[in-house]
Amino acid sequence: MSQYDPLVPAPTPTPVNIRLLQRVGSRPKFLDYLVTLWDYRHFVYYDSRARVMSGNSQDRLGGAWLLLTPLLNGAVYYLIFGILLGTGRGIENFISYLIIGLFLFQYSTRSISTSARSMISNRNVLQAFRFPRATLPIAVNVREALSSVPTLIVMLLLIILIPPVEVISVKWLFLILVVGLQSLFHLGISLIMARVVGFVPDVAHLLGFGLRAWLYFSAVFFSVDRFADNPWIMAMMNANPMFIVLDIARDCLIYDTWPSMVRWLTLCTWALASLSVGIVFFWRAEERYGRG
Amino acid sequence: MDVAELLVSSPAVVVDDVSMTYSVISSEQRADIPKDIFGRALTRIRHRRPTVAVDALHRMSLIAQHGECIGVIGRNGSGKSTLMRLISGQESPTTGSVLATSTPIALGVSAALVPDMSGEANVMLGCLAMGLGRAEIDAKFSSIVELSALGKAIHLPMKSYSSGMASRLRFAIAAAVDPEILILDEALNTGDAEFGERTRARMTELREQAGCVFLVSHSMSSIRDLATRVIWLDKGEMLHDGDTERVVTLYEKFIWYLRRDDQASAEKIRRAARREMTRVEVTERAAGRRRWK
Repeated sequence: MSQYDPLVPAPTPTPVNIRLLQRVGSRPKFLDYLVTLWDYRHFVYYDSRARVMSGNSQDRLGGAWLLLTPLLNGAVYYLIFGILLGTGRGIENFISYLIIGLFLFQYSTRSISTSARSMISNRNVLQAFRFPRATLPIAVNVREALSSVPTLIVMLLLIILIPPVEVISVKWLFLILVVGLQSLFHLGISLIMARVVGFVPDVAHLLGFGLRAWLYFSAVFFSVDRFADNPWIMAMMNANPMFIVLDIARDCLIYDTWPSMVRWLTLCTWALASLSVGIVFFWRAEERYGRG
Repeated sequence: MDVAELLVSSPAVVVDDVSMTYSVISSEQRADIPKDIFGRALTRIRHRRPTVAVDALHRMSLIAQHGECIGVIGRNGSGKSTLMRLISGQESPTTGSVLATSTPIALGVSAALVPDMSGEANVMLGCLAMGLGRAEIDAKFSSIVELSALGKAIHLPMKSYSSGMASRLRFAIAAAVDPEILILDEALNTGDAEFGERTRARMTELREQAGCVFLVSHSMSSIRDLATRVIWLDKGEMLHDGDTERVVTLYEKFIWYLRRDDQASAEKIRRAARREMTRVEVTERAAGRRRWK
């Protein structure tokens, strides 16, 4: 080729003023990245809203599946664990206990597993436009948050309607706070998983098992009291953020007790840690999403 | 030299020693892949699929100034689209780097959007993804819809569109921004006669507004009309970079020989082009470490 042709002249060194130039497609500095994310908030909002509407359009029952899934799950778990295995024995108001667990856990599961695939399922959009990539998993989370509003209302109605009837108290307002912290927590996990699955799609298969194991470990259909004499399991339970979410929600909604300060602090720490680790971890691969 | 130095002082785009090697999976049987099932499984897991390296672009440098319209010519598979993807940042080069004053926008190459959403929603989403503000989109919305010539079909989900309709919409969305550095691929200029006329009009408008344009085209007449300078790529190599008239003449001769299957004469032209070209080697003006690497 040209290198071997003795008659090809050597290149002329050409000085260039690079002060005004930046590398094309390079990832911005972290703080700039956060600012751009904010600038793209309309994109996030529009994307999530548009997809809430088109999300279930393939199914005949559409958005009703958001309610039917946890309800049917609840029926199955109630039959197997509540009646057949009797794990609910000793739990006061087991049905409401189960419903809170399933509805809240489903919210996290959906957010994490959908946003984990967001770098793969949106490859077209990633290749066509240059925008901060973190907007996509964030949009998925916003969408799930929007569609969780009606499901959570149904959850509350069920708790009120199914006997034993619960009294509505001021403590119910804490549900908003705990769900908010839960959302921040799984947003962080979503960002981490979006990067991992974006480059190693196989992990998406494992994620399903992981989330299921987590569900079983978070005392959704049994009481932690059965492990009271095992300090190791108790310590792990008390550190498990999803268990804390469910525990706080149950305290407020059905047991009419104030959740302990330790619980709130642990949950806040988890939410902040997961979100900050998640966003930094995601940002570090910013240039490489949607390629190859 | 001094004059040249002044000219290159603050360019719009600098392609510095860029090359691109793809590693692609090949169905060809290779000797170094074990034949037995365990060996194969092991190579798969270790991510050593039977791949071959394809040199899409050999190392090349180029400097584009503000106000230039650079024609990019070459046969199919010469690396034109690869170079354009690198310049627009859709891919990152294997070696070297591309620098620009602002992100170059490639016009509607493959902006496939969200098939489940209506054309309208896709317009909104595409515009927001390009970083336009709500007010800007509202102002441009009707002109985008008009340019796409979709009429009432704009309310239908995109998956119901014919491929022509979808590409019209993509073009209309991509053409909604007024980029400073613009990459135009004339292969885009297809579609029916009515739409072709509108695209051409909008392309002209964009080209006139942009500070620096890369024009990929197989039509030598539009290159002659528009380009102020031409780059000739062949088999991933930059054969020439220079005066429009000279490069186009060489290229046309080259193609003419190839059509007559006269490989020897074609090769002679390639060599002549290569020797004539002034190659650049990008160096930073202020001495010191190259910060962008």
